[in-house]
Amino acid sequence: MTAALYAEWTKLRTVAGPFWLVALAAVLTTALSAAAAGAVTCAGAGCGVDAPMVALTGVQLGQAVVAVLAVMVVGDEYRTGMIRTTLAATPSRAVLLGAKSVVVAGATLAAAVPGVLGAWLAGRLIMPGRGFTAAHGYAPLSLTDGGTLRAFAGAALYLTLVALLSLGIAAAVRDAPTGVGVVLGVLYLAPILVAVVSDPDWERRLRQIMPSDAGSAILHTIDLPALPIGPWPGLGVLALWSAGALLLGGLLLRLRDA
Amino acid sequence: MEATIEVNDLRKAYGSTVALDGMTFTVAPGRVTAFVGPNGAGKSTTMRVVLGLDRVDAGTALVGGRPYRSLRTPLRHVGALLDASALHPARSGRDHLLWQAHSQGLRGQRVDEVLKLTGLADVGRRRAGGYSLGMRQRLGVAGALLGDPPVLMLDEPFNGLDPEGIRWMRGFLRALAAEGRAVLVSSHLMSELQDTAGHLVVVGRGKVVADTSVADLIAAASSDRVTLRTVARTEAMTALARVGATVAVTERDTLTVDGLPADRVVTVLSEAGVPFSEIAAHRATLEEAYMELTKDAVEFRATEVAR
Repeated sequence: MTAALYAEWTKLRTVAGPFWLVALAAVLTTALSAAAAGAVTCAGAGCGVDAPMVALTGVQLGQAVVAVLAVMVVGDEYRTGMIRTTLAATPSRAVLLGAKSVVVAGATLAAAVPGVLGAWLAGRLIMPGRGFTAAHGYAPLSLTDGGTLRAFAGAALYLTLVALLSLGIAAAVRDAPTGVGVVLGVLYLAPILVAVVSDPDWERRLRQIMPSDAGSAILHTIDLPALPIGPWPGLGVLALWSAGALLLGGLLLRLRDA
Repeated sequence: MEATIEVNDLRKAYGSTVALDGMTFTVAPGRVTAFVGPNGAGKSTTMRVVLGLDRVDAGTALVGGRPYRSLRTPLRHVGALLDASALHPARSGRDHLLWQAHSQGLRGQRVDEVLKLTGLADVGRRRAGGYSLGMRQRLGVAGALLGDPPVLMLDEPFNGLDPEGIRWMRGFLRALAAEGRAVLVSSHLMSELQDTAGHLVVVGRGKVVADTSVADLIAAASSDRVTLRTVARTEAMTALARVGATVAVTERDTLTVDGLPADRVVTVLSEAGVPFSEIAAHRATLEEAYMELTKDAVEFRATEVAR
């Protein structure tokens, strides 16, 4: 496993693509968060805005970039045919996918941690000027506040789980464009489709099990009882999706001809 | 570890297309084994099966007595070159070898050694996407040598090589076999392996058509062909045809006699009183011997279809 991990790390750092995707994910996460922080206002006490969640808006964009990064880790190998060299070097499919998962998780955290910290800094600096003041019941965003810390740390975990979900899907579909399509469909299209379900009970149930809906519960800090699913259980649902995708990808990797 | 590849009764079908139909052979150490046959005969599929890349419906493939997927550092047991172009174009040749080295617990120092060994030391840090096909073949061979394995398996390594490269590759393969390694080299052009291969596994339609040493094969293909120079062409043809030889006119006074060894030709002509000035037992090239061998397979195929 150590050798396979070392090899995957060497692969990742010896081409420029992953580096730029990591940088892009961090920058976009911070930038969109800053834009959202600058666009929202709190007119008075009890305006009911979830400030940390607003400051984490960039996660919705950052997840697309980390998804692409994760899909490329597998998709590029199938595109070039290098996957056969890889499997010849590491015949155990489980070890290989495990090594890729660790490397992808590491690369995603390398994007998510600065991206999320940037979002926090942007929110802390910008939002007081938009009416999020002590007078309106808002303290500056602080990571020592339990709920805020949960949302920001959770955002980094959310991005990591999205990346792992993408890796599993890529291993299953073996083609980068298809992989990106499926992942973006799961992340962005599914919530839209759920929104048009007319029966509120069904909509709630679907929001409890859809990966991006359930997973982003971790970003909420207020009105938690009104959410279809709690923050940690929601992130747990996303984790199950990621694990399921990796299992499926691993199984297909084992059963199919390379 | 024993330096062998043992392939036993491999069977594989893609839907109704049979790719492997009881493929069985053994590659022994210390010689180059040529793995030849027309495109689509199952050479690449067999190699992928040996590497644990493709599954089979039945049969076993063992490397040094063990299935490939059970090897923990496989590149130290088998070095393989399947597709020289299977690399990331943006990664340098050296880095392409580096990740493979790291996957086997080997260091960058070994990468520089194999780069030097394959004549790529000067271009190792350039993007592999800019390599010519010949350079990629060398890079693939460098990768196969990384783990200093006792078994080597190369799929069409001559593809894209210039004459100088072909010469280099032949010498290289011979040297590797001389070190006691088992070397399996596939090719659809027999002539590429002239003076290189010691053993021959000929395949057609997913199974082995012939499994023979090259020396035996050439001897067999050569023995019954004689070139004859005579001024009495017609008389010679009549005399030889009477004892069952096939005679063809190659030049004005030169005949090629098939189906009769040289000493018999001399006897027949002498007894018939036909004068001749020159007689030579023809030594077949590997290519000719191979054609001779596959001719039967082709004819067999034709009759089978006709039926």
